[in-house]
Amino acid sequence: MIEVNALTRKYGPFTAVDDVTFSCEPGRVTGFLGPNGAGKTTTMRIMVGLTPPTSGRATIGGHLYRDIPNPGRHVGVLLDAGAQHAGRTGREILTIGAKTMGLPASRVDEMLEMVSLDDTEANRRLRNYSLGMKQRLGIAHALLGDPEVLILDEPANGLDPAGIRWMRDLLTGYARRGGTVLLSSHLLNEVELIADNLVLIGRGKIVAQGDKKTLRSLDSTVSSLVDALDRDALVKGLESDGYTVTPDGTCFRVNASTADVGRSALEHLVVLTDLRDGAMGLEDLFLDLTADTQRDGAAASMPPAVPAHAAQATSEGAHR
Amino acid sequence: MSTHAAERATIDVSQTAPVPFGRLVKVEWRKMIDTRSGFWLLTITAILLVFAAAISLLVVALNDGITMSAGAWSQTMSIPLQILLPAIAILTVTSEWSQRTGLVTFTLVPHRMQLIGAKAAAVFLLAVATIVLAIGLGAIGNIVAAQIGGYDATWNLTAYELFASVVVQLLFFFMAFGIGMALLNTPGAIAVYYIAALLLPIMVYSTLMAFFGWAESLIPWFDITYSTVPFLETNPDISGTDVAKLVTSVVIWVVLPIAIGTRRVLTSEPK
Repeated sequence: MIEVNALTRKYGPFTAVDDVTFSCEPGRVTGFLGPNGAGKTTTMRIMVGLTPPTSGRATIGGHLYRDIPNPGRHVGVLLDAGAQHAGRTGREILTIGAKTMGLPASRVDEMLEMVSLDDTEANRRLRNYSLGMKQRLGIAHALLGDPEVLILDEPANGLDPAGIRWMRDLLTGYARRGGTVLLSSHLLNEVELIADNLVLIGRGKIVAQGDKKTLRSLDSTVSSLVDALDRDALVKGLESDGYTVTPDGTCFRVNASTADVGRSALEHLVVLTDLRDGAMGLEDLFLDLTADTQRDGAAASMPPAVPAHAAQATSEGAHR
Repeated sequence: MSTHAAERATIDVSQTAPVPFGRLVKVEWRKMIDTRSGFWLLTITAILLVFAAAISLLVVALNDGITMSAGAWSQTMSIPLQILLPAIAILTVTSEWSQRTGLVTFTLVPHRMQLIGAKAAAVFLLAVATIVLAIGLGAIGNIVAAQIGGYDATWNLTAYELFASVVVQLLFFFMAFGIGMALLNTPGAIAVYYIAALLLPIMVYSTLMAFFGWAESLIPWFDITYSTVPFLETNPDISGTDVAKLVTSVVIWVVLPIAIGTRRVLTSEPK
């Protein structure tokens, strides 16, 4: 539904978006994840025609955004919930959007109700809104035209946990009805809760993409965390079986599956006090994947790239 | 499965009508007056209009033998319009940047030339509507003043004069609009406009022109206030030089800013 193809945007010598390619499928929520300044916003701005690309293209439903007539009826966009006239009321902001799209005034009330902004709040000026209220209003604005596609930049920013849950229910419901959602965030936890697919970006380059399971399996190194009553016996036993043991926090990290560690402990008659999977979580993975785009020389710690439609390791120091 | 997926992967836009231009003009008109700044600029202008009328009536009432013609009334009443309303023409453009509403406006309508057109049309309508209102008030003032002063009202306002004063008013509105587009910054545009359109002509140029011959011949070449003077006479005697002065001053303050501004609006990225 959303196709981004070899998209590049340069500002002088700085490459904000570097050969970015990914797509978003209908019926799924795609999370666009990356640290601040990674190029998420620029990519989204190019998608909706606010910023011209240096090369490459982005299409929505097969069209360039500017070729979509009355685009608000097809693509709901929220780039910055604060980018509204501070002196207008929430209701007036939605009314202007509805009038531009040619929607009846009743649609404004429906949307206000959907995002739980009551009458008093809707008649308050935007400068008196909390960040969470602005986000709700922004979501309402994006959904005004009943679009097939939603493009949301940091929509969960400023929402409390209940708000994030509300948004998750709203967006997953929207995707289940066949909608396409692309939302960005710099917080993994936020995106992990809401998104089905993830696209990871660092310093303008896509570092990995795929569904959450695929991304977790990116960490192909098997490892376990283990501890025992008799630590010397544990280490000696594991090493005699040919495994590498390194201290990790209060226990040891072993390059073996939990089953293999258990078997080794059984053979050497060691009593285990702790044994768990030491694979990295998505968060570690995220930090690791974007690490080499943050500091040079970390490329060695990169997990291998996943084949097929997924991860691509970036070469270090490609920028600046 | 593949056909279904393919159907869903594209959006059918054949049934969607583009946003008609008239609707954009209506929305831009609404945006000009739905904020506090828009509301107060209009309200204070209305108050100034009433003041201008009241003072004129007072002068006629208190002084025997003073009369005011329809032409004098329309000139008096159009002064309050020049004071604050051009700020609305500036804000309609600059607020998209300073209030960052451009992010939404340019996303809902990804054709900026159309938006510039819609904003220009809204500014045009605002200028014409307020002039009609001011001249209407002037006509009422003319009748009332004639009653109070005990003279017969003179209706000497020719169609040409009316036309000329409307055009001059529009020139100032579009000067403001152009400066707004060229600077894309509210305080900057307002400062430049008021210095160039009000402060310099009234405070500086008038003095220079009163004392120096060279100033009198030079200033109308680059100042709209003075280059339009010959055209606003009841029986204008317009020379080729007058036309040339009008053209150069309008090019400097209206055409150039709009040309530069259009380019800026089309190319700059609202953040």
